[in-house]
Amino acid sequence: MMTDERIQILKKVGFWFIIGLICFYLLFPFYWAVNSSLKTEDQLMMMPATFVPRDPDTGAIDISLTNYKQLFNNDTFMRGILNSAIVATSTTVLSLMVGSFSAFALGKLRFKGKKLSLYVILSMTMFPQVTVLTGLYALIRQYNLGPRFSMIFSYMLFALPFTTWVLTSFFKDLPDEIMQSAQVDGATAFQTFRLILLPLTAPALVTTGLLTFIRAWNEYLFALTFTSFDAEARTVPVAIALFSGEVSRQEPAGAKMAAAVLVTLPIVGLVLYFQKKIVKGLTAGSVKG
Amino acid sequence: MSQKSSMSELAKKEQRTAYKLLIPTMLILLLVAFYPLAQVFVTSFTNKRFASSQKTEFVGLRNYRKLLGVTVKKLEPQVNPDTGKVKVDSETGEKVYKPAYEALPSEPFLYEKLFTVGFFGNKYVVGASDADFMSAIKNTLIYTIVAVTLETIIGLIIALTVNSNFKGRGAMRAIMLVPWAVITVVSAEIWAWMLEPNRMGLFNTVGDMLGITEGQINFLGDPSLQLPSLIAVDVWKTTPFMALLILAGLQLIPQSLYEAARVDGASKVRQFFTITLPLIKPAIGVALIFRTLDTLRAFGVFQVLLGDRVYSLATYNYFQLIGNREMGLASAIGVVIFIFIAIFAYAYIQGLGVDVE
Repeated sequence: MMTDERIQILKKVGFWFIIGLICFYLLFPFYWAVNSSLKTEDQLMMMPATFVPRDPDTGAIDISLTNYKQLFNNDTFMRGILNSAIVATSTTVLSLMVGSFSAFALGKLRFKGKKLSLYVILSMTMFPQVTVLTGLYALIRQYNLGPRFSMIFSYMLFALPFTTWVLTSFFKDLPDEIMQSAQVDGATAFQTFRLILLPLTAPALVTTGLLTFIRAWNEYLFALTFTSFDAEARTVPVAIALFSGEVSRQEPAGAKMAAAVLVTLPIVGLVLYFQKKIVKGLTAGSVKG
Repeated sequence: MSQKSSMSELAKKEQRTAYKLLIPTMLILLLVAFYPLAQVFVTSFTNKRFASSQKTEFVGLRNYRKLLGVTVKKLEPQVNPDTGKVKVDSETGEKVYKPAYEALPSEPFLYEKLFTVGFFGNKYVVGASDADFMSAIKNTLIYTIVAVTLETIIGLIIALTVNSNFKGRGAMRAIMLVPWAVITVVSAEIWAWMLEPNRMGLFNTVGDMLGITEGQINFLGDPSLQLPSLIAVDVWKTTPFMALLILAGLQLIPQSLYEAARVDGASKVRQFFTITLPLIKPAIGVALIFRTLDTLRAFGVFQVLLGDRVYSLATYNYFQLIGNREMGLASAIGVVIFIFIAIFAYAYIQGLGVDVE
C-alpha cells in the first residue's frame, strides 16, 4: 500500500506532467515559427529540417537576423501595427459597451421578444464574410467611408453578436437576489448594472474583450478589401500577406514567420498587462461576499 | 387591485428599459447588415456577373436549382450484344453496369455522379448538378463536427488544469493565448511549412527520424489526409478560445460552494459533476455555438492550405465569386449557407439546452 505522502507526490508529478504537455502542444508550432524566422532562405530549404538554425555545410548553429531587419525597414508593416491597434481597440471597446447594454437587458430584465432578439443578433454571424463582402464594399464606396472606420463598422458583424451572447449568459448566471436587493436600496436599473453586475462579471468581461480584440486584430478578408484603395490604412495581416514580391521574388516564408513572432509576443504581453489592470479596476468597487 | 396595477407598471418600466438598452445593438446591426444582406438576397435570383458590364437578367430560382439539384437514377446493366446476356465481371462475379453519366440528366444542368448504391438487386446512381457544392457541404460538416468536439474536450481539460491553484498560473494564461493570437493567415502558413510533403517540413523530418515513414507524406495532397491535417490546424489554433471562455465560467463559481461540498464529504469527482459542470454549462454552451458557427463558415485555413483542391462552403462561395465571377450564383450560395446554418444553429441551441428565454 502507498502512503498518503507518496500519493501526494505522484499527484504533483502527474499534474506538472499535464501542464508540460499542454505547454508543449500550445507552444511548439509557435517555436517552429521562431525557428524558421531565424533562418535564411537556404537554411529553410535544408533537408532534413533542423530544430535550430544551422549552417548548411558545417552544421554549426547559425542564427540570421535578416528577416527581422527587413521588417523594421518595412513601413507598411510598422504602420500596420498602429492601424491594427486602432481598429482592434475601437472594435473591442464599442462592442463591449454596446453589447453589455443589450446583454443586461437580455440576461436580467423581463420583456417581450427576448428570444427573437437573441436569434436576430446571432443570425448576423450566420453568413460567410464573402457573402456580404460586395454589398459592404458598395456601401462603403457610396458613402465614402474611410477604411479604418469601415473596418470597425463591419467588424461589428462578428464582434457584437459575440459580446452580447457571451455576456448575456454570464449575467444570467448571477443570482436575481442581487438585483432585487439593489432595487430595494433604491438603485436604478442602470446603477445596478454599472455598480453591481459589471464588477461581478469582470473576468467574463475581460475574457470576452480579449477574444474580440484578437479576432479583430487578425481579421483579413474585410481588411484586405477595404484598404485596397488606401494602402496607408493596411492592418498587420494585410501587410504580411502582401509581403510576397515586394521583398524578393520567392515566397518570403522567413519574413512572414518573423512578422508573426514580432506581432504575437507583444500582443500577448500587452493583453495580459491590461487584463490585470482592468480586472483590478472593475472589481475595486464591488463588495466581496 | 392597486397592488396588481403597480406591479404591471413596474413590469412595463422594466420592459421599456430593456428596449432602450437594445436599441444601440439593433441600430448598428441594421446599419451594417441591412443593405449587404438585401443585396445578396436580390442578386441570388439573377445571373449577375462580378466586375462585368454584361447585362444582368432575372433568372428566378435557377441558381438555387443548380446548387441543390440532386437526383437518383437506376443504372442499366450492360448487355453483351452477341449473346444478349448481361455482362458479368469475371473476377468479382458481379454485374457490369453502364456508366453513370449515361443515366444522369444533362439538361438543364449537367449532373455529376456523387455515389452509387445497391438496393433490392438493382443499382442506383445519385447525382448532383453541383457536385462541388455537395462535397463542400460534406467537408464542412465533417470538419466542424470533429474539430469542435476535439476543441471542447481539450479546451475543458486545459481550463480545468489552469483553474487549479499553482505557481505560474499567470504565465500559463499567457501561453494559452499564443495560438489564438498568431495571425490566422500566418498560422496557416506555419502549419503549411510544418506539413511540407518532404523533409523540409517538421512532421516528415520527425517521422523519418523515428523511422515511421520515408519522410514523403503529402499531408495536404493525399485526399485521406487533407481534412485531418486541417482539423489539426484548427484545433491547435482555436482550442484557446474554448479554454478561455470555459475558464471565465469556472472563475465565476463561488469558492463557498466547494467548501460546503467538502464539509459534506463530497469527492472531487462528485464535486465536478454536481457543481462544476452544471455551473459552467452555459459558458460551454455559448462557446460551442460560436465555435460551431465559425467552423461552419471556415474560410482562412481552407483557402491558404487547400486552395481550390478541397472546398469548404465559404471557400466555394469565394471561388464562384472571385474565380468564376458568378455573382448571382455566389449570392445564392450565401443564402443557402445562411439557411443551412440557421437551421443547424436553432436545432443546436435547442439540443444543448441553452437558455434563450
